[in-house]
Amino acid sequence: MAAASPSASSPARWPLSLWIGMAMLAPLILVAVGGPAVAPYVYDEMNFLARLQPPGPDFWCGTDEFGRDVFSRTLVGTRESLIMGFSATLISLVIGMPLGLIAGYKRGRIEELIMRASDVLLSFPPILLGILVLAVTPPALWKAIVAIGIVYAPQVVRVTRAITLELMQEEFIEAARLRGESARYVLFSEILPNIWPPLAVETSLRIVFAILLGAALSFIGMGAQPPSSDWGLMIAEARPFVEQAPWIALCPGFALAVTVIGINLLGDGLRAVLDPRNTGRH
Amino acid sequence: MRAPSDSSPQTPVLDVRNLTISYTSARGTQRAVTDVSLAIMPGEVVGLVGESGSGKSTVAMAVLDLLGEDGVIETGDILFEGTDLRTLSATERRALLGHRIGAVFQDPFTSLNPAYTVGDQIAEPLIRHKGFSAAQAAPRVEELLAEVGIREPGRIARSYPHQLSGGMQQRALIATAISCEPRFLILDEPTTALDVTVEAKIIELLASLCDRHRLAALFVSHNLGIVNRLCSSICVLYGSQIVETGRTRDVLADPVHPYTKGLIAALPHITAERHQRLPSIPGTVGKAAAMPTACVFAQRCPFVEDACRNQAQALRKSAGGRDTRCWKSDALKEAPWPTEAGLATARKAPTQQTAPLIEVEGLCKTFDGGRSILPWRRRSGTVAVDHVSFTIERGEVLGLVGESGSGKSTIGRSILALIEPSAGKVTFDGADFVEGARQGDRDLRRRAQLVFQNSAASLNPRKTVGAAIARPLVLSGLTEPKARREKVAELLSRVGLPIHYAERYPHELSGGERQRVNIARALASEPEFIVCDEAVSALDVSVQANILNLLSELRDELGLAYLFITHDIAVISHIADRVLVIYGGTLCEEGPIERILRPPYHPYTEALLSAVPRLARAGDGPERPRILLEDTMVTTSGGCVFRGRCPRKRGAVCDEQAPPVQTAADGHRIACHIPLAELAAAAPVFPDLVA
Repeated sequence: MAAASPSASSPARWPLSLWIGMAMLAPLILVAVGGPAVAPYVYDEMNFLARLQPPGPDFWCGTDEFGRDVFSRTLVGTRESLIMGFSATLISLVIGMPLGLIAGYKRGRIEELIMRASDVLLSFPPILLGILVLAVTPPALWKAIVAIGIVYAPQVVRVTRAITLELMQEEFIEAARLRGESARYVLFSEILPNIWPPLAVETSLRIVFAILLGAALSFIGMGAQPPSSDWGLMIAEARPFVEQAPWIALCPGFALAVTVIGINLLGDGLRAVLDPRNTGRH
Repeated sequence: MRAPSDSSPQTPVLDVRNLTISYTSARGTQRAVTDVSLAIMPGEVVGLVGESGSGKSTVAMAVLDLLGEDGVIETGDILFEGTDLRTLSATERRALLGHRIGAVFQDPFTSLNPAYTVGDQIAEPLIRHKGFSAAQAAPRVEELLAEVGIREPGRIARSYPHQLSGGMQQRALIATAISCEPRFLILDEPTTALDVTVEAKIIELLASLCDRHRLAALFVSHNLGIVNRLCSSICVLYGSQIVETGRTRDVLADPVHPYTKGLIAALPHITAERHQRLPSIPGTVGKAAAMPTACVFAQRCPFVEDACRNQAQALRKSAGGRDTRCWKSDALKEAPWPTEAGLATARKAPTQQTAPLIEVEGLCKTFDGGRSILPWRRRSGTVAVDHVSFTIERGEVLGLVGESGSGKSTIGRSILALIEPSAGKVTFDGADFVEGARQGDRDLRRRAQLVFQNSAASLNPRKTVGAAIARPLVLSGLTEPKARREKVAELLSRVGLPIHYAERYPHELSGGERQRVNIARALASEPEFIVCDEAVSALDVSVQANILNLLSELRDELGLAYLFITHDIAVISHIADRVLVIYGGTLCEEGPIERILRPPYHPYTEALLSAVPRLARAGDGPERPRILLEDTMVTTSGGCVFRGRCPRKRGAVCDEQAPPVQTAADGHRIACHIPLAELAAAAPVFPDLVA
């Protein structure tokens, strides 16, 4: 008998990785929303009497060379890093998904054109492309976001196209063509719902790359600008003091690591939950 | 060649005792095999049959230690020549497998490693178990290849798997399995992936090998006809339990357990009366573990009593040295499986007063090798269909029979304009169908539908059954939600599904239920014509009978015409009015089914019919010897496409000229150089065919 399967969204069946991922990200998101309000100190307030203080009861993660509280700065930087990751990925999706869908559905010349163009973009190291986009104009955070979005769009194109190609072989697409469905219906009502889950997994990994690239760009001075407390920028500024006061670099570095691992675990868990074949029979 | 016998003839080669196996997954524990015992004596071939999910392959996997991490043997022993395999260490066990126990699996295409030559792979067990060097192994490999009937063993040994046909690959795998002269073979559906004519040769080979080397074997299959040909005794599995065992002839000719009775009754039979419904087994397969206090078959059994529902059945001896898991088997001995002949409704006769519904003229399809913008990447195309013409009347079932690669699916998809034909014309009720489809004529589309083979792939996994069936209704203008829901409910009950199934997703349904949904979706646009592309091939026998009955019913009540594409002669002879036999993209023979099954035969049809594995039934005469074709399939242009495998090739004329189409009685047409009179002199393949 085909028993009604427990639905995919029954949390009792969620894999452990999803729970751990969520547990790691939840506080980060709370901190990002709270921003300066949850920080014990004002993030850019200098205090020259307390420069380069080691971690202690007053300053949990010590202070930097201007006497700013590293813990507060890291907390405030969360918002910027997460915004950077999420919005850059969103831009990648907005650019990449339609192109991938069209390439996989239309095939032929349009596909060649889209894929070769994205191959060209892919052949450059992302950081170099980021620098290229940012170098011509004065650096700013929103420009870094757009640059990262563009740089990672070809990856989304490739993934979307691959899934579309696979789906186009399926008989339910043939059945739709047999009914005389329009291309728009096939793309949006038959293919898109099936692309979403694998793409969501891919996207969660893209966010990680975007955050890391953003940090790297800030590190070389192309992204966030002082006195911002972007993690990448913080690590860059901590560089001269690494031996003297390692906590200035370690604190944002640790935050970065938690974010990356958390999102990765979440993506892993999502993969298991979103696959319809993992729920009922089969 | 024969291995010296080191165990007394009384010891079974394989002795499985009270085997119970469970699979554990995130969804809980499922019992796959419950209390299975079977013994195989030296030289004996035992068939293990059952439908999908019955646990038959799990038994084979347990013997081979291939259950995987999830499979756990709860209780039971597996004795090989008196040694319990479960007490052996992994190393000791590995030394037995491939050495004393050989195995051949279902899919030759994935069982060989594409990176090594066939010879290297056959030599592997020799090197591993017998301590041969590569140089010593080479002559033995050629000997083995010759033994499994390969003509040029030297050349084949140096070939890579992709250079061989499926039949050749399966022969190579059999050579691997017998390379170390094992005492025992496990054959897990070894011919299921092969064409009927190739299957016939492989079965013949296995039978002669077992005979010559006094090999014992466990033959796992869903195909009773093959088991009948190869196995001396048979175990029927249902819902993880053995329900009946005995000598093959006895069990098949005179089944005792209700399930076996139903299974045999539900098989379409070539020589049976046509235009009748098939007897079927209602319901779907249950699991023994789910019903610990009832007979596992009780829910589907027509002979069920209260006593069956209150007690789990034990395997008991019944008359004739047979074991049956049914307490009333002695009383049921004479009881036949109930038939549903009375349910057949009067058929709307195919009408011929108007022009045919579908006319196909000179249909050709060539697939491009590669349509690249780079000239050196373009390759010459493959001819899939070559000038095929036929007609389908209103309400007629036209069968299209051919082996894999014959172009039968391409024909089906071309006439629905899913594939654009390279040449030729498809006329649907007077209109050019391909042109109409290209211009987006939805009404024309609406009138011709398709039911696919793969019931899972043809439904969008993210849409409910209701949404899938409702979509064609929306397209035909039924936009009011309430009316649409009512129509969906009507269609669901039309195909025999409960109305609440509209809320379910395809993966929550069984294969047979999904195929019903596919049929309901095809019916939603009220078509006049449906292409059934291997629509019942992937289904279990009992489910297949249900779907065939449903299709017959719809044909009779709605006057639907079908193009029924299949490789299964028994199915085609059950449902089709007329048949096209196709080989290498060209038409060999065409005519009413009654004519196709009798001489004159096209040589290919004759071989195809003779290769069909059949069940012996009471009153059957001696079986006609099978016509065995060469494995290779030559389809070079010019001359007859079948000449490379034809057992009755006449000579140069077959190589040089396309065969003429000769017309016999009743619109029976044969494309062959051999004169009709000579073809008509052939002995009938089915002498027992009802007149």
